[in-house]
Amino acid sequence: MLVAAAALMLGQGGTPLENPRVRQIGDQLACLCGCGSSVTSCNMLHCHFSEPARQKLLTMVNAGMGDSAILASFVKDYGPQILLKPPAEGFNLLGWFMPFIAIAAGLVAVWWFIQRFHKPLAAGPEPDAATLARVERELETLE
Amino acid sequence: MENLGAIALLLAFCLSVFAILASVIGGWKRKPFLVAASERAVYATWALLTAASATLIWALLSGDFRFAYVAAHSNTAMPTLYKFAAWWGGQEGSLLFWSWLLSCYAAVVVLTNRRRHRAIMPYVTATLMVTQCFFLVMNAFVANPFQMLAVGRGITSVPDGQGLNPLLQYPAMAIHPPMLYLGYVGFTVPFAFAIGSLITRQPGDRWIHTTRRWSLVTWMFQTCGIILGASWAYAVLGWGGYWGWDPVENASFLPWLSATAFLHSVMMQEKKGMMKVWNMVLVSGTFFLCIFGTFLTRSGIVSSVHAFAQSSIGRWFVGFLAIMIAGTVYLILDRLDYLKTEARLESVVSRESSFMFNNLILLAAAFAILWGTLFPVISEAATGEKISVGPPFFNRIMIPIGLFLLFLTGVGPLFAWRRTSLDSLRRNFQWPLAGAVALAIALFAGGMRNAYALMAFSLCLFVAWTIFVEFFRGSRAIAAKAGTNLALGAVELTRRNTRRYGGYIVHFGIVLMFIGFAGSAFNKDTTTEVKIGDHISLGHYDLRVADVRQGDKDNYSWSSALIEPSRDGKALAAMTPERRFYKASQQPTSDVAIRRRPNEDLYINFAGMSDDGQRAVIQAFVFPLVSWIWIGFAVLLGGTLICLIPSKIRPVQVRVKIVGMVESDVATVEK
Repeated sequence: MLVAAAALMLGQGGTPLENPRVRQIGDQLACLCGCGSSVTSCNMLHCHFSEPARQKLLTMVNAGMGDSAILASFVKDYGPQILLKPPAEGFNLLGWFMPFIAIAAGLVAVWWFIQRFHKPLAAGPEPDAATLARVERELETLE
Repeated sequence: MENLGAIALLLAFCLSVFAILASVIGGWKRKPFLVAASERAVYATWALLTAASATLIWALLSGDFRFAYVAAHSNTAMPTLYKFAAWWGGQEGSLLFWSWLLSCYAAVVVLTNRRRHRAIMPYVTATLMVTQCFFLVMNAFVANPFQMLAVGRGITSVPDGQGLNPLLQYPAMAIHPPMLYLGYVGFTVPFAFAIGSLITRQPGDRWIHTTRRWSLVTWMFQTCGIILGASWAYAVLGWGGYWGWDPVENASFLPWLSATAFLHSVMMQEKKGMMKVWNMVLVSGTFFLCIFGTFLTRSGIVSSVHAFAQSSIGRWFVGFLAIMIAGTVYLILDRLDYLKTEARLESVVSRESSFMFNNLILLAAAFAILWGTLFPVISEAATGEKISVGPPFFNRIMIPIGLFLLFLTGVGPLFAWRRTSLDSLRRNFQWPLAGAVALAIALFAGGMRNAYALMAFSLCLFVAWTIFVEFFRGSRAIAAKAGTNLALGAVELTRRNTRRYGGYIVHFGIVLMFIGFAGSAFNKDTTTEVKIGDHISLGHYDLRVADVRQGDKDNYSWSSALIEPSRDGKALAAMTPERRFYKASQQPTSDVAIRRRPNEDLYINFAGMSDDGQRAVIQAFVFPLVSWIWIGFAVLLGGTLICLIPSKIRPVQVRVKIVGMVESDVATVEK
């Protein structure tokens, strides 16, 4: 009895994930149960969010809706937090560009450092042929 | 017994305050007896924290559920290993673990350095004990692990506990947190030496030489912790991912990146006397990121499956962090005269420049991760709108940065110090570059169209080739002179300069890991509901679900599927993925079945039975090349250990000016 009950509790109802498009779109949607995973990868037992979301995704996919229309529908229902990748618009642009702004600022800092501390090598006298030959010989025997 | 732990914590707190005062006054007023007293207080703090930890461990192992912590994180059915691991499985216990590790580090630092660095040590001790004191405040007053349930005062008895989170009941999870904590806590030591050096206005960089090995050991622990966490996620979470850009994962990665930058830029200071301010910033920044990571995990500011319960503890961390940052910034600005660079860049095309770019990219990576982790909080504060930032965002930003870092791993070591001639560049790079381009063309012609994968494989070949050439040239010269073979020549070469060639091995480990990362571009997966006896097809594999079995253990009920796989018609060993249901916590976990091979892993998760109970839900994945991540890690670990072995020939950095010639030179002298 206990084993049978446990087996029933283990039931996950994975049907929607058989559809590759459900998995693909589900990977772009955040599971809002608190697990921190996507709708596709949420592994919680009878998750109150990801399981209905997968069913809804399957229904939309079967109805022939495009990816962007499905995502827009989820955003309408749950707000922008449903998207694991914030759309590149409005304040979110700062989120997308800031890492590259930081790299640019870093490059400026490196350029400044080079300008400030760069001292070209002092030009010494040209070595004569004998010296060059000796250096070559020593380099040959150098470990 | 319950009082023993609490009293030990209070005494340790008092002693840490005493150690701070005694070391600062002793160092300032030059009172050796006070300095000696502070050193003894450090040892006593360690002894008291060991006693407190032993008390908690005993309560966990013996199942003394009168302790609120034991009742919340252990139960009688748990195996002994996980009862022990419950020490760091919850908020209060893990903070005690933090404190105990720090006291171990502090005791070892004081014991091994008290005579070598008499001037600086009082302030090193004080810095260590300030951090210790903060964590003891947490242990004793904010998150005390020795709180008792009101047994006899309303509660008659506590027969059993809740048990450890089932996801944590996995062997790698018993090792992963201690490794990570050894890393987090260990970065306090280089920070303490840096602060000691600033306070005492030491013009030299003795602290750098002293702490280099500490930094490397700590970095190694941090690396182990991160990779063990990744391998745990791969084997336990059931979807085959090893890195999900979770805020807590990110928090562990941030100090690793800044510490990696420090391990590179420190060479500039050792060899050229440059980047002194920058190294101070990196050491301090790494320590602050460790504290920040601890704050992130425990404050509830970001949601994470790894995080501890939300609590008010975050405010304490913010306060501590603010005070430490303010103090460090003041010290650095006040001591800028002692941190002046001793040399100048002679050429933009040089090892020095490559280190600067390496630092830039490592810190850009750290910033991007920090930014992505905190952006939901920033966005909500600015716009009032909640957003999520997940793997698609981080992958988009971090893959190009990672590839550029891989490129620098290849080119950096081949630039000479001071300047690199065009002829040298051509000699060093023409064949590796040609090989990389040829590989990219061949892979493209073979049908590979993923741009990132093409770049990653090509760069991996480029970097591996440059490393191989470095070993080959040196080994050949030694083998020719000593009359031995190339392998023995390579061993001798490495022994002569363990730091340099160990570093190359670390780089090679990174290359192997990137091969594993690149393989993820070709993952295959399927999720199918099948009746017993039916087949699933995935790539070259055919999977027959032969049976589904159930059973019961003390700690959990289980249900497993017997899968008979075959590859291209050839039968393979049976696989039995399992689904567990932990009784105490009422939580399910997956125990996936993995067939690991160098070319690909076959990964099967049994997600349970269908709603009607007639069909097994099987998730099957093929992960090409993923094993190279773990192999690369082993190579990286080996390289790091080699770096820690003293070289047979010790390089001595001589920074001298010779009249009429260029300044700065490096001489290598026989020991």
